[in-house]
Amino acid sequence: MTDGSKTMAGGFLSPRQMEKLRDFVPFIAIALVILLFWSISGDRFMSIRNWTFIAQQTPVLMLLAFAQLIVVTTGSIDISIGSSLAFSAFVGAIGMLWFGDAGLLLGVVAGAFVGMVNGLVISLLKIPSFVTTLAMLIIVRALVIIISDGTSIYMTDGSVSGGTNISSVTAPWLLSMGKFPAIFIVAAVVAVFMWIFYEKTLFGQQLKAVGGNEKVLRLVGINVTAFKIKVFAAAGVMVGIAACVNLARAGAATPQAGLMIELDAIAAVALGGTPLTGGYGSVVKTIIGALTLTVVRNGLTIAGVPPSWSQVALGALLIAAIAISLNRSKVDVVK
Amino acid sequence: MSQGKQSFVVTDPDTHSNPPLLEVENVSKSFGGVQALRTGSFRLEKGEVIAVVGANGAGKSTLIKTVAGVYPPDSGEIRIKGEPIDLNDHSVSRMRERGIEVVYQDLALVPNMSAPYNLFLGRTPRKWGIFADNRSMRAKTREVLDQLNVKTVQDLSRPISDLSGGQQQSIAIGRAIAWGKEIVILDEPTAALGPNETAEVERMVEEVRDNHGTSFILISHNLEQVQRLADRIIVIHHGVTSQEFERGRVTADRLVKAITVGV
Ligand SMILES: Nc1ncnc2c1ncn2[C@@H]1O[C@H](COP(=O)(O)OP(=O)(O)O)[C@@H](O)[C@H]1O
Ligand SMILES: [Mg+2]
Repeated sequence: MTDGSKTMAGGFLSPRQMEKLRDFVPFIAIALVILLFWSISGDRFMSIRNWTFIAQQTPVLMLLAFAQLIVVTTGSIDISIGSSLAFSAFVGAIGMLWFGDAGLLLGVVAGAFVGMVNGLVISLLKIPSFVTTLAMLIIVRALVIIISDGTSIYMTDGSVSGGTNISSVTAPWLLSMGKFPAIFIVAAVVAVFMWIFYEKTLFGQQLKAVGGNEKVLRLVGINVTAFKIKVFAAAGVMVGIAACVNLARAGAATPQAGLMIELDAIAAVALGGTPLTGGYGSVVKTIIGALTLTVVRNGLTIAGVPPSWSQVALGALLIAAIAISLNRSKVDVVK
Repeated sequence: MSQGKQSFVVTDPDTHSNPPLLEVENVSKSFGGVQALRTGSFRLEKGEVIAVVGANGAGKSTLIKTVAGVYPPDSGEIRIKGEPIDLNDHSVSRMRERGIEVVYQDLALVPNMSAPYNLFLGRTPRKWGIFADNRSMRAKTREVLDQLNVKTVQDLSRPISDLSGGQQQSIAIGRAIAWGKEIVILDEPTAALGPNETAEVERMVEEVRDNHGTSFILISHNLEQVQRLADRIIVIHHGVTSQEFERGRVTADRLVKAITVGV
């Protein structure tokens, strides 16, 4: 295994230097990506207008990547977050219909609830997280279709009086929260809290320890089962917050919101250099990962690459980033 | 204390007023159909080092796990200072509260975490409710490593997987002696170590026993080590604690025979 890292180093970098370099891969990747699109599309890419757009597109993905990071650090995965996003947005919108502005908080509660159900099933029934959250992806999406009856709930700014249309909520404040400076500030505030939570608290430390070796924790009498329920609930809270932000940005709770976005969230985490096997992770690099994904998608669109080819490029980028940042000397089994 | 020369001793219902620190009587444990432990019995006095020897799969780890509270035995009794413990309320946390600590075979440490985290595993001191008190954790880690006379661990913030096997084992043992005021159980602590590191571990055990009166249960395949360290040697064969020898009263050949044949 040590031999592997020696050949990787190409003989001119020590393993320690290699490790340092690996730490910087997400930063180097985003710098290269920005330079690439800048040189291809010039000012059409590197304009204030386009970067405002990127700053508006990134937050929801970033928040979902945070949710995924929490779970992935423990060595599990949550692929139900796209469905949970749509569900939470609907519950939040319905909450606003029934209880006024404060009802939006029910959206966060809904996210936490879905997360807790995930955690309970995984921990108590001992069903792997991939299978459990796959089932929840299907169930929760179906619930969304049922409660929405296939229609959307719109947020309006009150300029058009919708008359008797009960599927709309007048919430100009929420719509303005979904626009550039506000959405960016909200995202930044949540990111700071996430950083403290993940990098500094005991809970964050325990996430990494569970990903490192759960058996050792059980042997010293730590209640890992209860902890994992909290982990999925915490990720659910983050999905709930993302749902509220998405509601503000999109201006509607729609039944198809967040379709396939769980894959983007996983990709953002992986682009941030976090091994999906757990034990390690970084909030700052996850932000960079989410930003990289958004920038690449945006840059390819501006460069006129058809959407399907963009997806191919994104997939290739994901593999390349992981191939470079993965420390093979620490991975003995590849599943 | 009783210096009885019995060789099949379990507990002697004799006269002494101070009950032994730990008495394990006829404990058994099966996993599904496999009877890992059939009858496990031994006693441990205060300040004593006992060794448990036996072939691979004989049930050594299972025996000490029933004592440590990882799982309750299916039957039998465990007494601490003469008091039977309630097997319905037998857990690792309870036993840790009573000053019994284990360094498990292969599973003692969380590799991606720091030395202080591992030393405080399950007991992280808090600051403001939600943060770890890193400063006091580092200070205590230094203190424990100094006490063990381990000077080579410099950067306490690195994951312990960066350390050598011997350094890692000193952190695992450090945790056990820091919290195990009564009994420290070491499950094959030197199996993965070289001769120098093994000597270091042995030195730590003797030092802690002499200075703090801690009792040790040592599981080991290294019979020379067992003869050097242990006051008594318990042999376990096919899940039965079949024999017991006093220090210096048994030859290596005799031990090998007991381990392999059971008599
Ligand atoms: N958790 C478990 N589940 C099933 N079988 C086990 C378990 N732990 C131990 N065993 C079995 O019990 C027997 C004794 O194991 P163990 O106590 O680990 O032996 P030793 O430590 O003496 O090598 C072995 O056959 C082992 O396979
Ligand atoms: Mg064993």
